[in-house]
Amino acid sequence: MARITIDPVTRLEGHGKIDIFLNDQGGVENTCFQIPELRGFEQFCVGRMAEEMPVITNRICGVCPEAHHIAATKALDVVFGAEPTAVAKKLREILYMAFFVTDHTTHFYALGGPDFIVGPDAPPSERNILGVARKVGLEVAGEVIACRKRNHEIITFLGGKSIHPVAGLPGGWSRPISGEERAQIEATARKNIEFARFSLSIFEKIVLKNPVYMEMVTSDIYLHRTYSMGTVDANNQTNFYDGMIRVVDPEGNEFVKYHPSDYREHIAERVESWTYLKYPYLKKVGWKGLTDGIDSGVYTATPLSRLNVSEGMATPLANEEYQRMYEAFGCKKITAARYEPIHHRLATHWARLIELLYASERMLELALDPEITSPETRNIPDPDRFTGEGVGSVEAPRGTLTHHFVTDERGVLTKVNMIVGTTNNYAAISMSIKRAAERLITGNAPDEAILNRVEMAFRLYDPCLSCATHFLPGKMPLTVSIRDSQGEMLREMRRKG
Amino acid sequence: MRAPGMEGTVIIGMGNPQLSDDGVGLAVALAVAERVQQRMTLTVTELNTGGMRLMEAMAGFKRAVVVDAMLSGAPHGTVRQFDPQDFVTTKNTFSSHDTDFATAYDLGVMAGVPLPEQVSFWGVEAREFDLFGECLTAEVAAAVPVAVERIVAQLVQWEEAA
Repeated sequence: MARITIDPVTRLEGHGKIDIFLNDQGGVENTCFQIPELRGFEQFCVGRMAEEMPVITNRICGVCPEAHHIAATKALDVVFGAEPTAVAKKLREILYMAFFVTDHTTHFYALGGPDFIVGPDAPPSERNILGVARKVGLEVAGEVIACRKRNHEIITFLGGKSIHPVAGLPGGWSRPISGEERAQIEATARKNIEFARFSLSIFEKIVLKNPVYMEMVTSDIYLHRTYSMGTVDANNQTNFYDGMIRVVDPEGNEFVKYHPSDYREHIAERVESWTYLKYPYLKKVGWKGLTDGIDSGVYTATPLSRLNVSEGMATPLANEEYQRMYEAFGCKKITAARYEPIHHRLATHWARLIELLYASERMLELALDPEITSPETRNIPDPDRFTGEGVGSVEAPRGTLTHHFVTDERGVLTKVNMIVGTTNNYAAISMSIKRAAERLITGNAPDEAILNRVEMAFRLYDPCLSCATHFLPGKMPLTVSIRDSQGEMLREMRRKG
Repeated sequence: MRAPGMEGTVIIGMGNPQLSDDGVGLAVALAVAERVQQRMTLTVTELNTGGMRLMEAMAGFKRAVVVDAMLSGAPHGTVRQFDPQDFVTTKNTFSSHDTDFATAYDLGVMAGVPLPEQVSFWGVEAREFDLFGECLTAEVAAAVPVAVERIVAQLVQWEEAA
C-alpha cells in the first residue's frame, strides 16, 4: 500500500522526542526521552467500586491489557481478603502465558528482530516484519500469525472476551475450563514450544553465528552495570504471575528480596529539573544520577534482568537455553544454578526468546496439571476478611507491573497508584540512549546513523509508553535535539513517520 | 489470496472509550450498527491498538469499516474518509508494539490471511485525547451523527453494488 506524506500522528505532543544535552566541553551530559503522559487516571478511578479495576485498567494500554487485568485482579484478592483457589491461580497463569507468548513473539519478529535479521543499517523501509520474512523465509509470516491466532483463542475463551479479559474476580476466576478446552491449551502449548525453539534457532543462525552482530551485542555501546530486578518463585526462579521481588547487585549478589506490597520501602522516584520524567531507583542505594555501578540505585526490570536474578529457569528447555546464553557471554556460575549477570543490553533480545520458551513450557505444565479442569475456581469473599487495601504485581513483558488500590469500608476507591513495567527502566533507557549518542555525536555521524542507533537503544527495552505513542522500527516519527549546557538548540534531526 | 466463503461486514471502532474523544470510533461503530440492524448484520469490534491486531480483526470478512479518532490539525469534529490507496494512519490504526496497518496488511497477504475485498477508513478529529473521561467533547459528539450518516450511506452503496 502507498503512503501519503501527511502523518496525522505527528501532532501528538512530545512523542518520540529525545533531547540530548551537551556540557561545556561538547560531551553528552544528559539525555531525556520525552513520553506523553495520559492525564487524570487517579481522578477517573477514585469514587468507583474497586471491582471495576480489572476492566478499567485493561483499557489503559492496548498492548498489554492482560497484564493490567491480572495485576488488578490480584490487588482485589487482597482488598477483599479472598485468597484465590489453587485452580484459579493456574487458570490466570495459563492466560498470562498465552499473552506472554504472543507479546514476545510479536516483539521479536516485528520490532527487535528487524534490527538484527534485516540489519541495523538497512533502509528504514526494509527494517520491519516484512523484511524479516523476506530474509528468513516467507513461511515465517504465516507462523507468526498462526502463533498469535492460537494464543488469542485461548485468551478469548479463558478471559471471557477477546482483547479485554473480564474473567478475573477477587478470590478467583469466573469460570472453569472443560476437558476439550484443556486439550486445546495443551495442543497450543506444544506448538508454542516448537515455535519458540524455531525462533531461537533463527536467532542463533542469524545473530550468534554472525561475527559482526556478535561484536555489536558484546561491545560496550549498550553496556550498563546496573542492579537487576525480577519476580521469583519459592525456588528463586523466574515466575511471571506471582512471587517475591528479587534484586541482585551488578556483581550478582542478592541485594534484597521483598514482597510486592512493600514496594514503597524499596523504590523511590527521582525528579530532575531538566525533565518531567520521574526516575524510579532503589531507595536503599540512593540516586546518583544517570550512572551505573554498585553505588547507583538505577535498576532494570526486563527479560534480561529477570534472568539475571533467577536460579536457572523452572522449565527444562528454557533452562538449557539460559545456560547457553550465560556461557556464551563467559559468565561464571555464582550459585549452583545462577551466573554472573549479563549487562550487555542487546542480550535482552536473546533473553526475551528464552522467556518465550519458558512461557510455552509453563503453559504446557499447567495444561497437564491434574486439577486444571476443577470447577473450584472461586473463593467467595467473606466480608469479615475485607481489608480495603491491596497491591497486585505481575511481571509484564516489559517489566514489573504494580497496582495498588485503597478503598473505603464500602469498597469505593479512594487512592490508586500504579508503576507500569516501562517506568522501572526510564533511567536505564536514558543511559543507553546517552551512550549511543556519545559515540555518534562527538564523531559527527550522519543523522540516519544517530537515529538508528538511538532507536535500537530504547527498542531493546520494549518500552510501552501508552497507546498514544508510536515507535516503529526505522520509521517512527522521531526528533532528536542536541542542546548546549544553556539549553540552546545546536542541532535537530527529524524523521517523519 | 482471497479465501472462498468470506462473508459479512465488520465495523471496527478504534480507540479507548475511557480516554475522552479517543472513544469516538467505538461510539460511531455502535451507532452505525444500531442504524442498520434491520437491513444487514454488522459485526462490531472494539480495538485499542491497530497494526497486526487490526489486520487480524478484519480477517475472514468480506468488507471492513474502520473508524478512529484523528489528530490532523483539522477543526475538531471534522469527519474524513481516507482512501485505502493512500491511507497512512489515524490515531490508533498502528501499534507501537508491532507495525502500521499497511505493513500488517501486506504481512497478512504474504501469509495467505483472508482479508476483505473492501476496506474503508474514517477519522473524526479529536479535541481531548489524553485525559481520562467517558464523555466526548461537544464538537466531537456533534460529529457522531455526521459520521454515522456517511458510513451508513457507504454500507448501503456496497450492498447495492454487490
